[in-house]
Amino acid sequence: MDFKHDILPLKNIIFRTALRIILNREEAEDIVQDTLMKLWERREELDRVENLEAFALTMARNLAIDRKEKMDNQHVSFDDEEHDRLDEGQGGADGTLMRQETTGFVASIINSLPEKQRTILQLRDIEGKNYKEIANVLSISESDVKVTLFRARNEMKEKILQKKSLFL
Amino acid sequence: MDYKYIEQLLESYFACTTTLQEEQILRSFFSQEDVPGHLAQYADLFNYETEAKAETLSEDFDERMMARIEAVEPKAKDMHRARIIKMTTHHFAPFFKAAAVVAMALTIGRAAEHAIGEQEAEENSKVMAVDPYIKASDVRQTIRVKDVSQAEMKAINDSIISLATEDEVQ
Repeated sequence: MDFKHDILPLKNIIFRTALRIILNREEAEDIVQDTLMKLWERREELDRVENLEAFALTMARNLAIDRKEKMDNQHVSFDDEEHDRLDEGQGGADGTLMRQETTGFVASIINSLPEKQRTILQLRDIEGKNYKEIANVLSISESDVKVTLFRARNEMKEKILQKKSLFL
Repeated sequence: MDYKYIEQLLESYFACTTTLQEEQILRSFFSQEDVPGHLAQYADLFNYETEAKAETLSEDFDERMMARIEAVEPKAKDMHRARIIKMTTHHFAPFFKAAAVVAMALTIGRAAEHAIGEQEAEENSKVMAVDPYIKASDVRQTIRVKDVSQAEMKAINDSIISLATEDEVQ
């Protein structure tokens, strides 16, 4: 097990997943560091882990949920500035300002979903993971993944159609 | 142009019956510039999915991460080198200890010989009981000339002090 070769390359998928849960870039980066650190400390066991990425994501998700709970309890919510930064950061290099403004709306709907729904949506629609892998990360059944994804996608659809009707 | 295929895919997407490949087709379709009016409402959703995948950590993350790993374990950066260094210290520490013991014995021996020449046996044992600290500093100086590291020096000091303490007890 080599840190730079085997563990470090997982950093960005861990970051995006943690960010989707905790909704704060600095906290998400801390979670990436903590997760990679823990993986390295447990490197002796990792050879026996079937799917290292899923293992790492489960770890990161648990850390993120814990930390989010603590933040919410302490009423440390991020302000609008953080919101803007979050949405800006998600704009692609080729995205125009217009596009970022409109996709910012999508980001805010996803981020208002319950944690389980937005994590599953992240892993399926953004990371392109199959149901089995997602079930593995969340330690739930594949049918539970599908049901939750169904709710998330349809909530998105509803909000998009609502928005459209507002403008018409 | 007929968009029936895309419309079907969209329907399947919201029913969660699309494959990963079909979902990729939807993202590709919506990334084009002119999406027909009745489908345009979904463009933001699929374009956001594509954009969000490009989210990455800041560039200096690796540097900070490696600093943290190395702070805990120097092995992470250069496992091989670290192991050699560790082995060296481990291997030589007993030799330095042994050398200190020999030097100690010689010094005490010499002091004893000197004492025997001038004093009686009873007084001699008294000198031995008081002297080890002075003699220990002699040993320290001798060894310091040899330019040993701080850690090794400490190991030597420890063994000398423990010897001196033993003498005192006697």
